[in-house]
Amino acid sequence: MTKQLSVFLTALLLMFAVPSILRSSGIFPYEYKIKTLDSGLTVVSIPLNNPDIISHYVIVRSGSRNEVEPGKSGFAHFFEHMMFKGTKTMPTEAYNDFITELGAGTNGFTTDDYTCYFVVFAGRENLEEVIKVEADRFINLYYDEEMLKTEATVIEGEYYASVSNPSRRLSETLRNTAFEKHSYRHTTLGYLEDILDMPNQYDYSQLFRKRFYVPDNTILLVAGDFDHEQLMGYVHKYYDDWNPSNYTLVTPEEPPQTKPKRAHYEWPTRTLPLLAIGFHGPAYSDEKIDLAALDLMAEIAFSRSSALYLRLVIEEQKCQSLSASFSDHRDPYLLVFNAVVKKEEDLPYVEEAILKELERLEQELVDEKALADIKSNLKYSFANALGTTDGIASSLLHYLNLTGDPGTVNRLFDLYDKITPQDIQEMVKTYFKTTNSTVVTLSGGKAK
Amino acid sequence: MGLSVLLVSCARENPNRLSSELLPVEGNPLVSFRVLTKVGSAHDPQGKEGLCQLTCSLLANGGTKDLTFKEIQKQFYPMATSVGLRVDKEMAVFTGQVHLDNLEKFYGILKAMLLDPGFREEDFQRLKTNQINFLEKTLVGNWDEQFGKEILNLMMYAGHPYGHHEGGTVESLQALTLEDVKAFYKQHFLQGNIIIGLAGGYPVDFPKKVIDDFAVLPEGFTAALGLPDQRMPDGLEIVIAEKKTPATAMSMGFPVFLSRADDDFFALWIAGSHFGEHRQHLSWLFQKIREERGQNYGDYAYIEHFIQGRRKYPATNYCRQQQYFSIWIRPLANSNRHFALRQALLELKKLVEEGIPKDRFELTRTYLLNYTKLYAQTLGERLGWQMDSHYYGYDDFLAEVQKRLPSLTHDDVNKAIKKYLNFDKLYIALITEDAQSFKDALVANIPSPITYANPNMPKEILEEDLIYQTFPLDVKPEKVRVLPAAEFFQKTGLPENK
Repeated sequence: MTKQLSVFLTALLLMFAVPSILRSSGIFPYEYKIKTLDSGLTVVSIPLNNPDIISHYVIVRSGSRNEVEPGKSGFAHFFEHMMFKGTKTMPTEAYNDFITELGAGTNGFTTDDYTCYFVVFAGRENLEEVIKVEADRFINLYYDEEMLKTEATVIEGEYYASVSNPSRRLSETLRNTAFEKHSYRHTTLGYLEDILDMPNQYDYSQLFRKRFYVPDNTILLVAGDFDHEQLMGYVHKYYDDWNPSNYTLVTPEEPPQTKPKRAHYEWPTRTLPLLAIGFHGPAYSDEKIDLAALDLMAEIAFSRSSALYLRLVIEEQKCQSLSASFSDHRDPYLLVFNAVVKKEEDLPYVEEAILKELERLEQELVDEKALADIKSNLKYSFANALGTTDGIASSLLHYLNLTGDPGTVNRLFDLYDKITPQDIQEMVKTYFKTTNSTVVTLSGGKAK
Repeated sequence: MGLSVLLVSCARENPNRLSSELLPVEGNPLVSFRVLTKVGSAHDPQGKEGLCQLTCSLLANGGTKDLTFKEIQKQFYPMATSVGLRVDKEMAVFTGQVHLDNLEKFYGILKAMLLDPGFREEDFQRLKTNQINFLEKTLVGNWDEQFGKEILNLMMYAGHPYGHHEGGTVESLQALTLEDVKAFYKQHFLQGNIIIGLAGGYPVDFPKKVIDDFAVLPEGFTAALGLPDQRMPDGLEIVIAEKKTPATAMSMGFPVFLSRADDDFFALWIAGSHFGEHRQHLSWLFQKIREERGQNYGDYAYIEHFIQGRRKYPATNYCRQQQYFSIWIRPLANSNRHFALRQALLELKKLVEEGIPKDRFELTRTYLLNYTKLYAQTLGERLGWQMDSHYYGYDDFLAEVQKRLPSLTHDDVNKAIKKYLNFDKLYIALITEDAQSFKDALVANIPSPITYANPNMPKEILEEDLIYQTFPLDVKPEKVRVLPAAEFFQKTGLPENK
């Protein structure tokens, strides 16, 4: 056995400490350090004295939310691709060779609110080089117009990769129908016509970079086997030359919805019918109870143990699946109910069942026992994700994007603990008004 | 924080009795379960394709004698747990993970699900309908990338126990009864077929308790599958599934006569990783098709059956006696389909004839030595790799990688390529529209130039394109079948030509 392997296997034997969940005071039990540099770059460091793996994440608070100009949908995701084009001193081939030799798990992904770049690797001796190379591409990214044109067609290919998936079309239709102004109106992939125009957007790509790929819009998160002071030394050494933009994004304000909306998409081949019902909801907050109360309601009334799920999916077998998704966003987003229905003729029945359940929740208080079960589920779910270095790091990404502060996780779970049945009832009355609803159906199969 | 002790235990002395795989991690508050049966879809009786999956699904997603599935869902919910299921050709595995706070309660339900299944008619009907819907609606209508891979399987293993989808066919499922399920359970849920896998911070005496409980299953085991030889394709055998679509999905491959258990595996693995490492820039095909030309989202190759697990790392517990080499070209614009197919096959030809460049050999070997350290991070993954290691005859396959790769030579890899790979005998599965004209173009070998959004593509790319676009493929018209997509998975094998 090589020494390197021996060290690695020994490291693997080290355990992760996750406290007994229901007795813990904070759901996120790890110590972290957070520092904002003069440039505005926020650094979150979670040294873990366990397996020889380091997770390095860069979170740029740029997502489809930032695509506020017409014709630019999908640009945050496109720019994620361009970030792999290297620099003048380290062109893409050299960058790829570096990552390959490192044997790192690496990629990027884009959401509505942020874009994330990760490098997960073994060996603390590699940390400095990773910081150096990643800082280089964020500060010195270089690509020419021709490189951009070629990469733009990859986006078209990515669009095709999921073109046969009707869920994507359902989601696109729901957003496009429910929103009038806000950039959440389009998905991260963007409208096809905007994708097809991306080869012509070199100048805009430079503007996009200048606005958003800047330290005051970025969070660096490092978790794993390293020394904090050493990390900060590397961060200063390689990131201190990065200049802030001080740009302020103004997202279009979504006007209140005043009447119910409805849309249908006819799918060209056989498919199970799909139903989505969306209501405009609140933005994420760890102080206001609105979304936290609605999160609990979603679990009580629409999770796999809920009465409605058990009725529609298990007993009556009208649906293959049923779920509620009230995802956290920086700006007010949609509270969405999704169902995969078995027969097209049952779409109205399922829609009515969901709306009736919401009416019932306006009239009746939820059961205390159910509320306790939900709180237990949320805590164990979060804890289950914390079993590895990368699990710890990736569980924080979402929250770091939302507030820039890991402490928000504990504040959110504290908020969950305080929610009462009365809070839930009040929020259901506030948000689930018929005038605030958008119903989208998708079915098909008449063509071959 | 403290040291744990890795105790690998695998009791397998008596083939009629239970085996176990233990990975205790002292102090870890989680416990991961993997209950593996050495029975998979290849054990489906003829005419009852899909029976193994439906039986296992009824255990994982149905009630017990005492609890309805509704009650199980309610009890699992506060624990944030569930029972997962994966069914492959020769094995099926039930998975679960729970916090130590809830170990006894979860295990009590899991045990009842596997040992005292309720086999209720309503669960049976629900799960059977789901399985049928998956085949004829989701797979055929909504998921072309996977559809292409499954067509390749139908072609490669025609008349072979691997030759049907794990879910079966619409026709076979419609004919299945609850009695079939009960009979399959009785026939195959025998002690000797079961491996109990446990990982995490479970109490010291917990494994014995589990093994004692599962010993209520009858002793015995299912006889080893007598698999027929894999059939190499006769030249280029092509199936085009026709449907309305703006993009063409492609999967192609052929049997390889080795598995992870063979010494040559490690050399061929380097070749496969160089040529098409899954979702990595390292992949040569990815570089040629996506990076240089922007044609699609990705292009990969594999020397064994591959299922992606967490992130991009390989999933575990898909072990097979027989393996295959495959290339996966993700959907691309129909206008580029002919070009891309030529490109993939010409690059494969170059790999076989010229081998892997020396610098790429060194790079890929270093990559695999490091990347494989990330494979087993979670408890479940670590347990899965431990089980698979033992299946293929290793104490620890990932440790074996660290031992074997450094001693491999460039020559070893090129010899393995010559021995196992070829470029002119492939099964090719395509999903596209206007299939007849594609067939005609393939047979006639008409040039297939592509156009680019970038008017100033590098000269070397355009020069190389001239070679790709006229690369002759030996496509015989009688070896190309155009079949309606909607008719797949209705019956066993490929749909009939009309």
